[in-house]
Amino acid sequence: MIRSTARGRTARKRIFVALVATGVLLGACSFEEDPAAGTGGEADSTFSIAVGIDPDTLDPAGQTTTTVQNMVDYMVEPLVKMQDGQIVGVLAETVETSPDGLTIDMTLRQGVTFHDGTPFDAAAVVFNLERITDPALRVPLGSPFETMQSVTATGEHSVRIALSKPAPIFLNALTITTAGMISPASVQAEGNTNDNYQHPVGTGPYTFTSFTPGQSLTVTKFPGYWGEQPHYETVEFRVVPEAATRESLLLAGQVDMIILPPVSDLEALRNNPDVTVILGESDRSIYIALDNNDPLLSNPQVRQALNHAVDKQAIVDNVLFGAAKVMDAPMSSALFGYCSTGSYDYDPERARQLLTAAGAQGATLDLLTPSGRYVQDQQASEAIAGYLREVGLTVNVSTSDWGAFLGRVNAAPSENTVDMHLLGWAPGILDADQQMQMFRSATHPPAGLGTAFYTNPRVEELLAQADVEVNQDVREQLYCDASTTIWQDAPWIFLWTQSFPVVHSKDVTGIATTPTEKFDAVHARPAS
Amino acid sequence: MKGTAAHIVRTLLLSLVTLFGVSVLIFLMLRVLPGDPARVLAGLDASAEQVDRIRAELGLDEPLLSQYWAFISGVLQGDLGVSARTSRPVALEIFARMPATLTLAVVATVIGSVVGVAAGVVAAVRRNSVVDHVISSVAMMGVSMPVYWLGLLLILLFAVTLGWLPAAGSDEPLSIVLPAATLGAFSTALVSRMTRASMLEVLGQDFIRTAQAKGAPPRTVIIRHGLRNAFIPILTVISLQFGALLGGAVLTETVFGWPGIGRLLVDSIAARDFAVVQGLVLVYALLFVLLNVFVDVLYVVVDPRIRY
Repeated sequence: MIRSTARGRTARKRIFVALVATGVLLGACSFEEDPAAGTGGEADSTFSIAVGIDPDTLDPAGQTTTTVQNMVDYMVEPLVKMQDGQIVGVLAETVETSPDGLTIDMTLRQGVTFHDGTPFDAAAVVFNLERITDPALRVPLGSPFETMQSVTATGEHSVRIALSKPAPIFLNALTITTAGMISPASVQAEGNTNDNYQHPVGTGPYTFTSFTPGQSLTVTKFPGYWGEQPHYETVEFRVVPEAATRESLLLAGQVDMIILPPVSDLEALRNNPDVTVILGESDRSIYIALDNNDPLLSNPQVRQALNHAVDKQAIVDNVLFGAAKVMDAPMSSALFGYCSTGSYDYDPERARQLLTAAGAQGATLDLLTPSGRYVQDQQASEAIAGYLREVGLTVNVSTSDWGAFLGRVNAAPSENTVDMHLLGWAPGILDADQQMQMFRSATHPPAGLGTAFYTNPRVEELLAQADVEVNQDVREQLYCDASTTIWQDAPWIFLWTQSFPVVHSKDVTGIATTPTEKFDAVHARPAS
Repeated sequence: MKGTAAHIVRTLLLSLVTLFGVSVLIFLMLRVLPGDPARVLAGLDASAEQVDRIRAELGLDEPLLSQYWAFISGVLQGDLGVSARTSRPVALEIFARMPATLTLAVVATVIGSVVGVAAGVVAAVRRNSVVDHVISSVAMMGVSMPVYWLGLLLILLFAVTLGWLPAAGSDEPLSIVLPAATLGAFSTALVSRMTRASMLEVLGQDFIRTAQAKGAPPRTVIIRHGLRNAFIPILTVISLQFGALLGGAVLTETVFGWPGIGRLLVDSIAARDFAVVQGLVLVYALLFVLLNVFVDVLYVVVDPRIRY
């Protein structure tokens, strides 16, 4: 008995020691975190933004996601940008395209320096454009630059770009983050290497300060910035994957701005006097791609019937809480080359007639949908399936994770098992070119994103002309004509263009969005 | 004690076999998973040539055996490879997030153990009293309440309405409170239910009556005679729960924007980032093995009758 008690004491002592050790470890763990990184007393000089996506890479050349590009844009600037449908200079001062469309001459802004103090000059432009066309480097959005044959410095502050064929899209492509200018010296500095570039050094209004994966990215004002100085000393991007939590952070006053709140709360946020909701226009179209190779769906009548069967406006109102606009063309109105091509009114009676005429009444179709990738995607798919069932079709809805989803919709026609799938596409360049790729046989899977396997000789011809047409008015008309034919052929169930909601505190102002699903908050400032 | 040391050595040696098995399994499972990593990485609009180039870059066009060899020989040299998604070394990705995961797991487990054991003991001793019913009902709620929902409710109350605590992140000392409380609620509920059941069983034994009969004070009877003998199953539940938390609490991490390895794992699976998933699962398996050995030792400490 005594022995056992003594042992008991020893055991308890050991457990106690273990607990104390744990406590010490805990204390160490939780207080070691840098408290200065929080929203401390200097709340005024820090602008804090909650985003949903953790940056994969901060290398401009490696960009894929608009949210990450958005952060990189604070540090790295392009040569040109789009403004009201026109190309205007940023780091380039003038841009001159030769009449044959094969040569582009640029003069560069002088007196611009990179964050590391090195000058921005022609050599830097040559370095960057050669870098993003280097086959050894992974450049996911690099395809529009493949037409570039050479880039040469024609002076200290001027460059000439030669193209292998006229490419009206090329200048637009120079506006994207991929073509942002980084300091040539920086690929060997700050722990960077050419193919693992994590500390961007650009010419932008903010310099890179710190990045903690899964948590936050902090940037600090660049005193040597050539343009208008921003108001806030630092900007903190906080990675918060859950939409409801982002909303709470804003409502609790712990961040100044969030992107993509839960759409179901948009109405409540609009009625909240403390915050402002911006329902930005986006170029992301959401559609149901129909397998145009399928014996049933190869009949345009059937595809038109499906378009008439779905009450898109009702879904936008009730499932997406108004955060979208029903499509009236095969592309968003934000793109160059857009023209309205009509509408497929909700008409279940007409849908039934068309299906009967095509001998497709009561057919069975599978609908594959992503889940959580686009606003209310799976919920919308369920609603669409409901409408299709009402016109007598049998529809099975299934979902899978993004990787498996891509694998299925990107299979070669012989292996394709998907009748219909919901997909969203947002061209990074505000030009019909990137949207129209989806209606060309050259991009049929597995080669690209033409996942409806649609092709029409007339459309192919119009698009091939548009590829090399230097006259923008003619090019615009070519896209409009192609759109009209595509609309009638109905390779998709045309759904809606998504909105890009941004919500910010009433205490700040100077915030806008762009149709490429980016926020423009560099010049945010306190609302006085 | 000598037997215990030998047991530990034997377990550790055997765990090498386990780790090898885990490495083969995770390697194969990833490759059976539908979805082409090169396509996911390249994006929907990439050309077939770009996708092929990325596939070659990642070595995914090599035969399976040589892919596995590249992976395992790297591991043996302490190199977990490079993340396809971020181009950063896998080891760096994992260890950047490990402290957050460990902190959360430890705090939640401490909350769960202390509160759970206390509540369970009280419930068992005051069996069928109002206190017991209250504790049991709350524990039932704790086990059944979705973490997601509880987390959001706590954020609404403590961050939005009261403004006391940060709603998300891990960069302030107080950031840990809400995620740990959310996770701890589940552990507490689980541990208290196990403690109650285990205590009831022990308290019904003859030696408890003997202890009471010889006049031992109630506290001694409950703690020394009761809890100590009831502790083995409780310890098992706590350690299993802790092990699960080490793998990252994906939902809690997501709700609270907590930068742990759970989210890294889910993000990496979604992106088909094979190197990161393989590395994470191996590290996780290793931690689990070590935890098991540690618990084996704890068993001996708690119950001297246990011999290996």
